[in-house]
Amino acid sequence: MKTSLGTIRSGLGTDTSSLIALLIVVVLGFSIASPQFMTAANLGSMGFQMPLLGLLTLAMLAPIISGGFNLAVTYTANMSGLTLAWVLLQFGGKDAGVGALVLGCLAAIAVGMLAGAIIGFVVAYVGAHPILVSLAMMIFLRGLGEFLTRGGDISGVPDYMRVLGHETLIGIPVPLLLFGAVAIVWHILLRRTQHGFSVTMTGSNQMAAEYSGLHTKRTLVLLYTLSGLLCAIAGILMLARFNSVRVGHGEALLLVTVLACFLGGVDPFGGYGRVVPVVVSLVILQILSSGLNLIGANQHMATAVWGLFLIAVMVLRSEQVKMVLGFFKKS
Amino acid sequence: MKKSFLLLAASAIATLGMTFTASAEGATIGVVVKIGGIPWFNAMEDGIKKRAAELGVEAEMIGPVSADPALQVQAIEDLIAKGVKVIGVVPNDESALEPVLKKARDAGIKVIAHEGPNLNNVDWDFELASTKGLGEAHAKLLAKTIGDTGKYAVYVGSLTVPLHNAWADAAIAWLKAEKPGIQMIGERYGVGENVDAARSTALDLIAANPDLTGFLAFGSQGPIGAARAVEERRKIGDIAVVGIFSPGQGQKLVHEGALTGGYMWSPAQAGEVFVTLGKMLAEGEEVKDGADIPGLGVVHPNFETRDIITDNILEINKDSIDALADQGL
Repeated sequence: MKTSLGTIRSGLGTDTSSLIALLIVVVLGFSIASPQFMTAANLGSMGFQMPLLGLLTLAMLAPIISGGFNLAVTYTANMSGLTLAWVLLQFGGKDAGVGALVLGCLAAIAVGMLAGAIIGFVVAYVGAHPILVSLAMMIFLRGLGEFLTRGGDISGVPDYMRVLGHETLIGIPVPLLLFGAVAIVWHILLRRTQHGFSVTMTGSNQMAAEYSGLHTKRTLVLLYTLSGLLCAIAGILMLARFNSVRVGHGEALLLVTVLACFLGGVDPFGGYGRVVPVVVSLVILQILSSGLNLIGANQHMATAVWGLFLIAVMVLRSEQVKMVLGFFKKS
Repeated sequence: MKKSFLLLAASAIATLGMTFTASAEGATIGVVVKIGGIPWFNAMEDGIKKRAAELGVEAEMIGPVSADPALQVQAIEDLIAKGVKVIGVVPNDESALEPVLKKARDAGIKVIAHEGPNLNNVDWDFELASTKGLGEAHAKLLAKTIGDTGKYAVYVGSLTVPLHNAWADAAIAWLKAEKPGIQMIGERYGVGENVDAARSTALDLIAANPDLTGFLAFGSQGPIGAARAVEERRKIGDIAVVGIFSPGQGQKLVHEGALTGGYMWSPAQAGEVFVTLGKMLAEGEEVKDGADIPGLGVVHPNFETRDIITDNILEINKDSIDALADQGL
């Protein structure tokens, strides 16, 4: 028993197992508090809500591991969504065919990757701080989007896009399946490929990585480009979910993506971070958000609870606390 | 490691426990508003709570932490999962809510909107003020204050704000038809959202037109700026200022007489109507033409667009302003 537990633990990593403990506590707490919590309707509702935040969080994750930041995630997603909506509109809006959808998605992905690539290029070759560069990109995209749409929205997407945003496949929400697939690919990319290794080493110590023969500049450009790609997928999903797109949709999610990364044990200074604990922390945040809505708590309270959780997790992870706990264990 | 689990668990339970104090069990009406924590929607929440207690139904208001349509969609999805009977919504962005409101209606939930006349997936949208009614009310107040002859200037928030211009259109049309002795000077001035621009424009207009007797100001800062100019030029009593403004901000000016008054609708009343209509619809009652609904009065619904548009406007004047300002409006 003990050995099998140990295997699981080493497989998941200690950060994940402590998060899973937290997850169990939260699930138990809400199950007791609200009879509606453990119902299919609520679980489905959470399954529809989480993927959007999840995709944006994964888009934030890789830059943070590399010691950077991508503040432009939500606006990149908006811009990609606008691109897709615009292409669909050219082919008749609600009556656009599947061909138009594919073309639009490709265009949206191209726009997202371009926005990411520009950030990556400036970060890598100009050497400006990623927070500044991505902030500038965020302001640029927001301004550009507001200029192009005059602050209004583009709506009217073909009915079959509902499948992506609101249908289920064998009982699992389609957005959740999409998120699951992306998360697995992202995990493999960051843990098992040369690129992932390069990202981690760059975040750990860019100078040392450079001298060790890693092409850190190329790595940075590629990783921000891929981050932009994920934003584009998030933008497409947002369009399918809301049936319309406007600059500013989802902007409240930006800081939550950072919160989810740090709750998932990603090193704020770069060099360490894994997909699995981040996904678990996303689930925890979603449960807190939906659970608090279920029991009818104040929305502002939910934000405060998220903050408290983050502080609690940081305190428990600190070396000092571990030392104190170790002392008590001995005595 | 085990101890840290326990600590984590304890902190989790503690934070959850804190939130239970604010919980309400089994609400059947859930109203999602644009944003929580601002005076307008706090007043609406008071209205919802008050009416729910009167009718003996469960009702709650959800105010997202920012005016982001994505958060409204999430809140509505949570309400669907919770199994409420009625969902009310004051939309930030009408089209972003259509899919989730369709989902709600497919689940058999009644949907009521306020300030969202163009929504399609609703059972009813109700409004407490019509564009024409609100514009004409201000025109009548201006005419009542300055008499049958005079000259007035018009402010709007900006020349591109559709609502302000629609109010101004209605007011100007009424004055032209009913009070030919009252003339408008110049064109509309788009300074109504900037208190300094409104004040300096008013000073210029007063200097250029010694016979000016009124300002008709739409845009939240327009009446305030114009009234300050009137006060500075010691024209209180000679020049009337009517318009839509925040009672708390205009309280002092109204008592001094620099600001004559204006009209608004009551968010608390809108909250009450959410509950009244919600209970009706949940019990399978239909809204009929000519029905007398508490909070709305006798209604003439538009069955095509599913809109119930009424004129339940409140006058803001010396007598009513203190009570409105006390509500934090």
